[in-house]
Amino acid sequence: MKKSEWSDKQLEELLRQMPKIQDHRNPRDIYQNLSIKKRKRPAWLVPGFATAAALLLIFLLVPKMLDGTESSFNSAKQEESSSEEKISLSDDNSSIMMKKEDVAETENGISGAEPKMLMTGSDKTALYDYEVGNGTVMTYWIPDSQAQILVPISTVVNIDSNKDWLTTFTESMGLLKEEEWGLTDYYPLNATFKWDSINNTVTVDVPKDHKYGQGSAAETNFINSLKNNIVSNSQVSKIKLTTNGQPGMELGNYGVIEEIEVERKGKQAYFFYTPDGMDTTYLVPSTDKYQDINAAFEAMKIGQQELGLAASLVPSFTIKEFTIKDNKLVITMDDNAALENNRETINSYEAILLTAKGFGIETVTILNPPIQILGPFDLSKEMKVPIGANLHQIQ
Amino acid sequence: MMDSVFDELYQKYHHDVFQFLFYMVRNKEQAEDLVQEVYIRVFKSYQRFEGKSSEKTWLYSIARNVAIDSFRKQKGWKGRLLDKFDWSSSQVKDESPIPEEITIQNEEIKWIYQCLDYCTVDQRSVVILRFLNDLSITETAEALGWTESKVKTTQHRALKVLKKQMEILNEKEGLESEKVRVER
Repeated sequence: MKKSEWSDKQLEELLRQMPKIQDHRNPRDIYQNLSIKKRKRPAWLVPGFATAAALLLIFLLVPKMLDGTESSFNSAKQEESSSEEKISLSDDNSSIMMKKEDVAETENGISGAEPKMLMTGSDKTALYDYEVGNGTVMTYWIPDSQAQILVPISTVVNIDSNKDWLTTFTESMGLLKEEEWGLTDYYPLNATFKWDSINNTVTVDVPKDHKYGQGSAAETNFINSLKNNIVSNSQVSKIKLTTNGQPGMELGNYGVIEEIEVERKGKQAYFFYTPDGMDTTYLVPSTDKYQDINAAFEAMKIGQQELGLAASLVPSFTIKEFTIKDNKLVITMDDNAALENNRETINSYEAILLTAKGFGIETVTILNPPIQILGPFDLSKEMKVPIGANLHQIQ
Repeated sequence: MMDSVFDELYQKYHHDVFQFLFYMVRNKEQAEDLVQEVYIRVFKSYQRFEGKSSEKTWLYSIARNVAIDSFRKQKGWKGRLLDKFDWSSSQVKDESPIPEEITIQNEEIKWIYQCLDYCTVDQRSVVILRFLNDLSITETAEALGWTESKVKTTQHRALKVLKKQMEILNEKEGLESEKVRVER
């Protein structure tokens, strides 16, 4: 028979005898998981936005529908205003439609608000010359969360003209929000930079206890990000590496490296990269070069799955033929191309622009486009290639 | 720098914090998820930790908040609504599998594990910190942000709940064994 009473002391004793429950996972795995988990967005965020967007649409559309059935006077007035809008669109030559929305809006009052919704610049990813203004463009190459690829992030910084590019580059490094963008927290680099404008070299000095030699991925990313950063932001042709002021930097797989030659890139294909759990699409160039733009386009239909790079030329973007003359690319679309005005198509279009840029193209024209308006772009017009890929503002 | 902080915290406290979380939520997988969350919050606020309290009690206070947040999340608006309309469910407790470490123990340990579920979250926090994690009254008060007297009264009430539930269980088991005897 069991006893029927427990004293406090006995209960405490029982509690102390409770078995230890162990976490059998490897601490390395736990640490690894941390960086993945940290980026998780709250579960309500996406449906929340969707709901808000839907409500906004209803709010905009319902009054319009009611108007349409109620009075012919109103609709006549509307027609008038929309034809006015057409004029204002057609007499503007810029191929980017965002700025003129403001004009349309002031002219048409409320009815101008509707096209604005369709044409916000938020769906495009690259940086275009009209967005630079008086700022300086800086490009940073940031490893993805798996440290497999480097994602170029372009940003516009405002600096006083006394500072050289390298000072601007290093000063703005700390402003990058890599983790918020779904990438690896990589900057500011644990190194100091010096620019020798006469010999056209940059000296990179790392402290003795630097972590860039830990593992081959870390080394490759460090070397490649340095090279890419220098190429993207300067005309420097050589990088010198020092450790604590002494020549050379020790990297396990490379041995001691004193100098890196910087080669001009180009002739790359741009692919889609989407960080896990995010809906941002980045346009990332291949590490391989392609013989000609046709080979690059073919590669873009397939992607590079082993690196997590997805195909960037969506099937609906069916190119019939293209010609290049005087650094101008003219693409003729297939008659059956079923382009849709959505984000994926916008990204595809930008991937073409960026890839074309790498082959020395300055403008791209689409002939026979199935739709005229694609996000912020007017496909009926000649388009200048972007200044840089993946715009993120940091200031 | 995060790397070395993690190593140090893992060495010193991981198993204790895990132990605490497990007995709070009574589910190993969930405890594994929550301990990750503890690290994330620790890294976010590590700069702000200025040694006002001891590192240990600071960690336990984060762990407790993580556990409480997880209860809230589990019991989203749906759960809360159902609770309101379904009175019979108030006595039905969660059905997480009892881990092997517990099932191989003697009867009394198994019972007390079940009885812990009848304590409130506060009571359970105190009991686990005091007797499973071996914290003193002062340390427990620090971890929970309470006064020492509140720790003492909560501990007293928790033991009372445990005692009552143990007796109920004992009676039930006794009846069952009697039944078996009669059937034979």
